[in-house]
Amino acid sequence: MQLKDPKGGAIAAAALTLLGGATPSQAEEKRWLFDTAMLFYTEGADRVYAFEPKLAATLDLRNGGAVNAGFTVDVLTGASPNGAAPSNQPQTFTTPSGNSSFTAAPGELPLDPSFKDTRFAGELGYTMPFGDANKLNVHGNASTEYDYRSLGGGATISRDFNLHDTTVSLGVNASRDSINPVGGAPTPLAEKTGAGGGPDQSKTVLDGLFGVTQVLSTTSLMQVNYSLSRSTGYLNDPYKVVSVVDADGDPVRYLFESRPDSRLKHAAFVQYKKFVIDRDVLEVSYRFMTDDWGIDSHTGDATYRFNFAGTHYLEPHLRWYRQSAADFYRVALDDGEPVTYASGDPRLGAFDGVTVGLKYGQTSWGNLQWSTRLEYYKQIGRVDGLPPVAGAALDKLDVAPDLNVIMLTLGARFRY
Amino acid sequence: MASPCTVLADGADDAELARLVEIARRSALRIEHKWSRYRDDNIVHRINHAQGEAITVDDETARLIDYAALLWRESERRFDITSGVLRRAWRFDGSDRVPDRETVAALLPLVGWDKVTWRSPQLRLAPGMEIDFGGIGKEYAVDVTLRELVAATDKPVLVNFGGDLAASQPPRDGPWRVGIDSGAPDRPAPLIKLDQGAIATSGDARRFLLKDGVRYPHVLDPRTGWPVMDAPRAVTVAATTCIEAGTLSTLAMLRGAEAETFLQSRGCDHHVVR
Repeated sequence: MQLKDPKGGAIAAAALTLLGGATPSQAEEKRWLFDTAMLFYTEGADRVYAFEPKLAATLDLRNGGAVNAGFTVDVLTGASPNGAAPSNQPQTFTTPSGNSSFTAAPGELPLDPSFKDTRFAGELGYTMPFGDANKLNVHGNASTEYDYRSLGGGATISRDFNLHDTTVSLGVNASRDSINPVGGAPTPLAEKTGAGGGPDQSKTVLDGLFGVTQVLSTTSLMQVNYSLSRSTGYLNDPYKVVSVVDADGDPVRYLFESRPDSRLKHAAFVQYKKFVIDRDVLEVSYRFMTDDWGIDSHTGDATYRFNFAGTHYLEPHLRWYRQSAADFYRVALDDGEPVTYASGDPRLGAFDGVTVGLKYGQTSWGNLQWSTRLEYYKQIGRVDGLPPVAGAALDKLDVAPDLNVIMLTLGARFRY
Repeated sequence: MASPCTVLADGADDAELARLVEIARRSALRIEHKWSRYRDDNIVHRINHAQGEAITVDDETARLIDYAALLWRESERRFDITSGVLRRAWRFDGSDRVPDRETVAALLPLVGWDKVTWRSPQLRLAPGMEIDFGGIGKEYAVDVTLRELVAATDKPVLVNFGGDLAASQPPRDGPWRVGIDSGAPDRPAPLIKLDQGAIATSGDARRFLLKDGVRYPHVLDPRTGWPVMDAPRAVTVAATTCIEAGTLSTLAMLRGAEAETFLQSRGCDHHVVR
């Protein structure tokens, strides 16, 4: 064969380059994907510190399926609110074990300093394609910490329609938790005099999820999810109390909290993702959650991935959250006030939260992709759940203090 | 490969032939598994479903993408691995279902290698875009398989994947004799004598649409989204490697009425059926 045209030469040369590369065995596709991350979390001086390393691995199977496994360790230490209201007097509490005590200064939100936990969690999943456009995922997970164990599993089925432009998913999940509180599980609304003393408890959670992902145009897609979650059993936090106060807001005694033994949550989530100026990715989402405890929450989230140079990117993140208080959330109870349920856990109170963050990453550093993310979260408490009589006195104190959190996440992922 | 695959080895006994067939079978399945657009567990699926994220590809896929990118430039944008999206509008089933202009125009924003960010080994497509290696994958598989067979035997070998073939050396009794489908039962099949090298054919005379007396061949021009109206029914080219032969025959088809002129300018042995 002779070549009269240099362009023919270009194709022949390119064909030889293509074939002259690594032998197929060396070019074998990398079937392992490893994902690692490390989270550092701090609520500032005297409050919770957390450290959370994570490792996940996925193996692509030759039959078209995949197996994944993950392992997470959570190490938490520091002080967290025990549910009691602040007071003009010093307040002394025994720790959950009943073996030691701590004192909160006047005007300060009581924080239990014995909060210390190490949690180990593992999960295992298997995904298999079947038919032309269907996928089935089954997974199981387990976690353990010294006073809590959880075992769960579930399945998700998804199907593509319209030449993969539409994906519909349906998932179910169930878990069974056993709670073995330090010092025993207390009787709800019993006066806290020492440790709880009661028997171990359990909790069951059933979740369902329905989702649709739709490619809208060449540059955008939308995802809509609806999820339902039902918890039954022991839903109290065995270490949380609620203050009973006199007319001046001064503590009379402390009761163990009492929550309903079932909770039904509905959540709707919508996300819009757009590829902009042929380079960047904008993602905005909104989530609404409502439950039969009276909590409604709204979450707005936006990220902009700025692919500024080759394999480097910067991703600013902004998140806004608002939650209303549970019907039974109480800063404190008036002495003699009749209640069935009451909790002083600030997580069930009304608050707003704002997160701002920035992520920097490199999508190709040899065989590795890495990223680092720094985020600041500010929680602003809104006062709700004041007792009718003592409310005016308590309102003078900072019953819903702000919370400041800094989070640093380091992530790396590579194929092998 | 969705087509019959044959291995010929001159002088090999049954045991050796079985061994060679197994090598060829594994090689074909490996490449088919890796790049088929009908699977949802391979690199092509990951790329096509990345929704705007960049995907890091392996070395072999990166070389094939580099090659496709070169063909896009050499063909003045006629050869484009992102053009498969047009299949959503065009189904060449012999019927008269020619899509309307709006349907085709609506797909064009999803087509075009110039809309893709390729910084080897990372590829990023806009959401909704797709790539496939339909135009070059099978020919590449022929060359790679032949190379593996040559490493496994000293007998003359010919690999034929659905009409695209390559041979290592001539058999003892003279060159390999390759018949070419003339595209019509009443025309004699031309015979090519091949010592070594490759032959590839593009075009499928059975795939077209017919409407109002106009025949729409299944060769689509990614620049317009419409068939190349004067494309030959089939183009067969001989070259040193199967990938090169396949490329030249495909590019010739995309040239339409100028297919013969294009092939003559390349100076390669060819056969055009119109």
